[in-house]
Amino acid sequence: MKKNHIKTIIRYIIFSVLITFFALSCKNSLDNSLNIEPRNQLTDASVWANSTTADIFLNDIYGRLFDGNNCWDILDNWTDISMCGLFWPPSKTSTVYNHEYNATNGFEMRTGYTDGTTEPFEWGHQYSFIRKCNIFIASVNANAANFSADWMKTRLAETRFLRAFFYNNLYMAYGGVPILTEALNLNSQGDSIFHPRNTADQTYNFITTELGAIANDLPNTASDYGRITKGAALTLKGYVELFNHKYADASVDNKAVIDLGVYSLYPDYANLFLPAGINNNEGILFRLYLPPALGGRESLRGPCFNNEGVEVCWGGVNPSQQLVDDYAMANGKPITDPLSGYNPQNPYNNRETRFYKSIVQDSSLFGNETLYTRIGIGSLNELDVNERSDASNTGYMLRKGTSPDNIGAQNWNNGTSSENYYFFRYAEVLLNYAEAKIEANSIDQSVYDAIDKVRQRSELPTVETSYGTGLSQESMRSIVRRERKVELAFENKRWWDLIRWRTAEVEINKPIMAMKITKNANGQWVYTSVPAINGNHKFDASKNYLFPIWQSIIDQNPKITQNPGY
Amino acid sequence: MNKLLRKHGNPPLFYQFFRKMKLTILILTASILSCLSAETYSQTTKLTIVSSNSTLLNVIRAIEEQSEFKFFYNEKVDVNMPVSVEVTGKPVTDILDKVLSNTLVKYKVLGRQIALYDKNEMEPFMSEQQERKITGKVTDQAGVPIPGATVIVKGTTTGVTTDNNGKFYMTLPGNAKVLVFSFVGMKSQEVSVSPNSDYNIVLTEQIIGLNEVVTVGYGTQKRGALTSAISVIKGDLLQGQPVADLSNSIAGRTSGIIATQSSGEPGSDGSNILIRGISTIGNSQPLVIVDGVPRNYAQLDPNSIASISILKDAAAVAPYGMAGANGVILITTKKGKSGTPLLSYNGYAGWQNPTVLTKFVNSFQYASLMNAAKDNEGASHVYSEADLQAYKNHSDPNGHPDNNVLKELITPNAMITKHNLELSGGTDKVNYYTALGYLSQDGMWGPTNYKRYNLTSNIDIHATKYTEVSISINGRVEDRNSPAVSSSGIFYQAFRTPPIAPVKFSNGLPGGWIGSSVYGDIFDSGYTKNLGYTLLNQFSIEQQLPFIKGLSVKAVLSYDYNPGDSSNPGSGISSFERQWVTPIPFYTLSTSTTPYTYTQAGNGGPSKPQYYENFTQNQAFTYQAYLNYHNTFGKNDLRGLIVLEERNTKFSTFGASRLNYDVLLPELNNGSSASVDVGNSGYSSEGKQESGLYRLSYAYAGKYLLEASGRYDGNYYFAPGKRFGFFPAFSAGWRISDEKFIKDKLTWINNLKVRGSYGESGALAGSPFQYLRSYSLYSGASVLAGNPTTGMVENSEPNINITWERAKKTNIGFEASFWNGLLTAEADYFQEKRSNMLASPNIVVPIEYGVGISQKNAASMSNKGFEIALGSSHKFSDDLLVSLNVNATFAKNKLGQIYENTVTYNNPNRRVSGRPMGTQFGWRAIGFFKPEDFNQDGSLKSGIPTQSWGPVHPGDIRYADTYGPNGKADGIIDNNDIVPIGKSFVPEIIYGISPSIIYKGFDLNMLLQGAANRDFYITGAGAWPFYSSSSATIDNLDYWTPTHQDAKNPRITSSPAPNNMVTSSFWVRNGSYLRLKTGQIGYTFPASVVQRIKVKSLRVYVSGQNLITWSPIKNFDPEVSDSQGMYYPQQKVVSVGLNVTF
Repeated sequence: MKKNHIKTIIRYIIFSVLITFFALSCKNSLDNSLNIEPRNQLTDASVWANSTTADIFLNDIYGRLFDGNNCWDILDNWTDISMCGLFWPPSKTSTVYNHEYNATNGFEMRTGYTDGTTEPFEWGHQYSFIRKCNIFIASVNANAANFSADWMKTRLAETRFLRAFFYNNLYMAYGGVPILTEALNLNSQGDSIFHPRNTADQTYNFITTELGAIANDLPNTASDYGRITKGAALTLKGYVELFNHKYADASVDNKAVIDLGVYSLYPDYANLFLPAGINNNEGILFRLYLPPALGGRESLRGPCFNNEGVEVCWGGVNPSQQLVDDYAMANGKPITDPLSGYNPQNPYNNRETRFYKSIVQDSSLFGNETLYTRIGIGSLNELDVNERSDASNTGYMLRKGTSPDNIGAQNWNNGTSSENYYFFRYAEVLLNYAEAKIEANSIDQSVYDAIDKVRQRSELPTVETSYGTGLSQESMRSIVRRERKVELAFENKRWWDLIRWRTAEVEINKPIMAMKITKNANGQWVYTSVPAINGNHKFDASKNYLFPIWQSIIDQNPKITQNPGY
Repeated sequence: MNKLLRKHGNPPLFYQFFRKMKLTILILTASILSCLSAETYSQTTKLTIVSSNSTLLNVIRAIEEQSEFKFFYNEKVDVNMPVSVEVTGKPVTDILDKVLSNTLVKYKVLGRQIALYDKNEMEPFMSEQQERKITGKVTDQAGVPIPGATVIVKGTTTGVTTDNNGKFYMTLPGNAKVLVFSFVGMKSQEVSVSPNSDYNIVLTEQIIGLNEVVTVGYGTQKRGALTSAISVIKGDLLQGQPVADLSNSIAGRTSGIIATQSSGEPGSDGSNILIRGISTIGNSQPLVIVDGVPRNYAQLDPNSIASISILKDAAAVAPYGMAGANGVILITTKKGKSGTPLLSYNGYAGWQNPTVLTKFVNSFQYASLMNAAKDNEGASHVYSEADLQAYKNHSDPNGHPDNNVLKELITPNAMITKHNLELSGGTDKVNYYTALGYLSQDGMWGPTNYKRYNLTSNIDIHATKYTEVSISINGRVEDRNSPAVSSSGIFYQAFRTPPIAPVKFSNGLPGGWIGSSVYGDIFDSGYTKNLGYTLLNQFSIEQQLPFIKGLSVKAVLSYDYNPGDSSNPGSGISSFERQWVTPIPFYTLSTSTTPYTYTQAGNGGPSKPQYYENFTQNQAFTYQAYLNYHNTFGKNDLRGLIVLEERNTKFSTFGASRLNYDVLLPELNNGSSASVDVGNSGYSSEGKQESGLYRLSYAYAGKYLLEASGRYDGNYYFAPGKRFGFFPAFSAGWRISDEKFIKDKLTWINNLKVRGSYGESGALAGSPFQYLRSYSLYSGASVLAGNPTTGMVENSEPNINITWERAKKTNIGFEASFWNGLLTAEADYFQEKRSNMLASPNIVVPIEYGVGISQKNAASMSNKGFEIALGSSHKFSDDLLVSLNVNATFAKNKLGQIYENTVTYNNPNRRVSGRPMGTQFGWRAIGFFKPEDFNQDGSLKSGIPTQSWGPVHPGDIRYADTYGPNGKADGIIDNNDIVPIGKSFVPEIIYGISPSIIYKGFDLNMLLQGAANRDFYITGAGAWPFYSSSSATIDNLDYWTPTHQDAKNPRITSSPAPNNMVTSSFWVRNGSYLRLKTGQIGYTFPASVVQRIKVKSLRVYVSGQNLITWSPIKNFDPEVSDSQGMYYPQQKVVSVGLNVTF
């Protein structure tokens, strides 16, 4: 009896030992049997193995260039030249209600970009793009054996350009920022991942030095249309120099772009911003669009109602009376000139062509329909005096870059537009050159030539014909600034121009003016300039020349110091 | 056991089967009994008993386990006497002859019953004196006959069983005083012998259920021997409810489950089920196991469910290791039972309507509100008196419509129908269960509907005496149809469309509002058709190993096409989806002409049709090897289990699209072939898991229970060398009621058990391959050289140490039953500490870092609560049985480390850590600004804190000043003043009350289900009038004016003032509710009636779902899933149904 029990127990023990042994001996092979290669991810080894996959990494960085054609609250809406017609755009919520810009709210200069990932002045975004550039540069260098020398030269230069471009976004907005030229790594760098801000000068020097160093590595004409060229590097360099009031340098670099001889003005100012003008010799740095996946949405910005009352655009951009007043007469003279022939009660008559190509005004044709902003005839586009709808708050709507053929819900939902978005185009280089020379007070014929070239494209007489000869530096300054305001309107340039000229508090603190057209007692239509509803912007010169740094940035890196006044 | 005859050792399955029987199935058992005559069985059944140096009791048990024989004996028989027997393949009589030779015990075989008696006692059936014949019938409380019930003369071994009509014929010995009627799963009944010779006995169901067999992880266990927290929902409770998705039938049925149904859309109206609340910031979904394998259960046919076990504590979930931390739902499908084929039909037809539809203002109210808003703003009226009149008197339905937009679109009384056919039966060698189900559920509008076809087939083959083979095939096809615009898109547009906008003109043309047409979104947008395929295949073979008593091995192989297993990422449903997206034209009318003219005003869809096809495939391969042991040594009961498991999952998907169709035939080949119009995509992935698990249970005298279980679990998610984890649990129980001091003195206590468990389980966190440095490709990065490019992004920095979540769970509970089931109670206290949750500690690096740093297993959280279930059942007379079950669960969690940023962490009011997850934060509203708060010039009087959302006016919401930079109120209402304003959307308390009454043939049962300690937040179009050009709800009519200052809403403005839209307690609503979730009244026709129409049983019923809802909220369903109410609402269903068994 006892013996049998023991026998059973021994059986159990042997059995358990076998099982345990089996389990233990399996452990390693079990672990290995769980090896599975991910199939929808790539590893370092495969990415930097050849130029084809490395290019894919760079394609992504190109896509991080500001997606300007998918915005509805463009930067100009924070300035004197336009405002947003919608109810709750960032440009209104942060200013109309006297929002103080501060570390908590930030500057809230957000463009209503539909997914927000390329917001140009978002600290975190720009640094994530900079990281991509740093990884590309380091990885390509580390795997140099896998690439051809030519490919490396060009691609590294492109990437360094893009990095400088992202740094420039930060520099303009915040002044000095931490200059990181290699990807941060918590594991290997420890506490040294916390970098303080570099000074504004260091940041400026970094940008210009980099651009200077790579310019000659870049081709005059890109192998693939849309890639960075030598012209782009010199243009950005010249622009930053102008921004930093380094006028001599700026004139040299802008002149160098002109002397490249690869750029010319596209003959049709309207088509330049429409699909018809995609391929041109005027664009220097631009983002390309290609529907369906990579299309733009001009209907976010264009005129609201069309087609018997259908909302065809959101009306994100309402040009101001201030801007309209700066369009010259067709004879080249400003409307303030008594000889210009301007009639305030027939204000849209005989204006320069850029006016008609940029702005939709009362009684103008859009597509095959005449739009009315005048009050009292039941038009849905009637001037919105109490913020009742998306209709214009100024009596003006955006025509530049908006085609009646493209717009509608389909466009604002799906991005079906293919026109380019320009960061820099040749017309600006000409104006940058002129401005640099004027500010350096070395005004010569080349200055007149540059401005006249821009005016001639839009069928305007020369500066001297329009304004007379023997113009002072002061006059030339206001001429080039007016030219710039008109030529580059709605291209997200105005804010930085006002910052550069230190005139932001003057221009931005003026209320946005609207054109109110009403019938008087005699049955005549009367044009009156009135403040637009919710058109007040505010700019505090004591601090607003630099953006505040968001508190969360400082919270996560205590070495970052806030800008003065915030 | 005193004087009563003792009976024991019913094989668990047999018992379980009868506990769960549908009355109809009983009849089949009866037929087996009548098929085989007693002699045949005792002679044809050959048994092998090898039991040397054992006891008589063990031999009896061995015979019972191998056969259908049952032994009866009284205390005179010493079953513990030592015996020795070794026979192979002999009839039972041979064995007993051998065993009982040289003993005082004799036996007698009566069919399948064997009586043992002391040879000195009178032999049963030998007493001929004064004997008389009696007859009778045994039925259940519904009047259905019970075949196979035992009738025994008390104090003797004399007895018979009932035939398949529940009838018995018996010769009573002269000294018979009392008859004992018993049947498995029923309460035994003693009846005094009366001069009457006809006995009609009604047996009631036994509620104590200690012998009920409960499905546990990788096995079964008797309820009385459980040491873990497991609740069971029986399949029959789920049947006949007019709901498509099984998950909606679980809420309120048992304690421990927290369920929220977030949508009523056919085909996607399932509830989100949580077991004991939320314990993790990661995935909180429980693991779902169907017939032993991870699979989705929601779309199984409720009729083929045998039971649902909810595994709640560490001891219960330990066998699931790295997947068990959120609890486990075990589904068991029905199996066949020997007997003649039994065919039954169950079907119902129901009518669905939304439980609550948000009520919007009518046109006149809308226009008046807008004018009032303009008055407030000093602006001119938008609507003239003539407009108002036209809206009011409906004189101009096209130019001045008055639409109740949702009502206009919804077809009331959408049908839901279900048909189910079940066939089951079997022979000695093969049992089968097969069922066919069809469900059709219409949506609130024509294009939306759901159809489901289920096929279940479970076959069990007793291949040899020691071998059992089971084959199970469970398949379904799901057909989901909806407009091309998603329901959220439709409701978005419906909520925005004000009553003054034309939904549809009288000539049938659709109208529009802000660039799209809600009518067109539903009826003209094309379609989405999703065909889902599921096929769950399982083969198992179980082999007894007679050389070690009680040892068996089992192998299970399963191949699932579309397991829909929620614990595996990417394992959505395998489906083929086709989407046809068409232009959605809409029209405006010009009132300047007579008659009005209509022109196409726009198009809410693409300019030309588009067509998409998507194919998704999920497969899972599961291999399990079991080693099972169960033996008894005297009073010691020992069970052991070892399982090795491997699971492999495969996922792949691809899609194709064409745009710009000129030919209106939705096939890929018919679309534009321009390269920009052609698209495709696809990828695949794979997953793998290797595990070994064990369970050891020991019981002494059925009183002292101990269990240890655990799993060694490895998953491909993690880095080599860091893939395997060990998850053990221990539990113990004490059946106090079996102790002498209760058993003898407190006889009203039928059962009292305390139990406790502690253990560790795990949960997968994050996503696979987080340990690898990797890059992901995406299409459409940038345009270069006129072509779209592919782009690549660096994924978050890898973390080689990434691992699973750890959950340490403690549970203490008791189970009790008093006064023979008049009161049953079960209560549990639980607490859990979850650690190693993945969190992104991004705050430890500067924002300049530029990429997400790897997650770390560093977050922690705790969750605790209790749950209670009470039951009572009382039979007032033979005709009236009343029962009531109540359960409630309370669970509250608390966040620990979550890498909160310093801004909120340093403000005690805003700190998220240490508060329950989902706590809502915002400003505390303290009423409205009053006119006297302002100076003459409209500025706020000094001393009143200023608010930072623009100028305020009387009637705007005023917020409390609670905090400032120095920790004190600072006169400025800004982010510092944010405080907790509401509880989580997930209820802390959930409860169910289910009364039931059975009176003669009628049965009534209800389920009231409620939730409390829950808040939700309303915003947007659901809260604010004219928000984003949308409409206004009837609640908005009650707005602040100087003469109506105690209004429900702030002053009216033509678009909501930003000050009034900030997140504040003003818009927090109490989300408590109680609803009559299910109600059913049935009538079972008497057997005498149905037999005339050659039917075995017939029941008709009326059933309802979500019939009544009590909630402080009137304008939303309290389970609302969208803060604006823009979602497909839950449905109220009333149905009529029929069960027939042939």
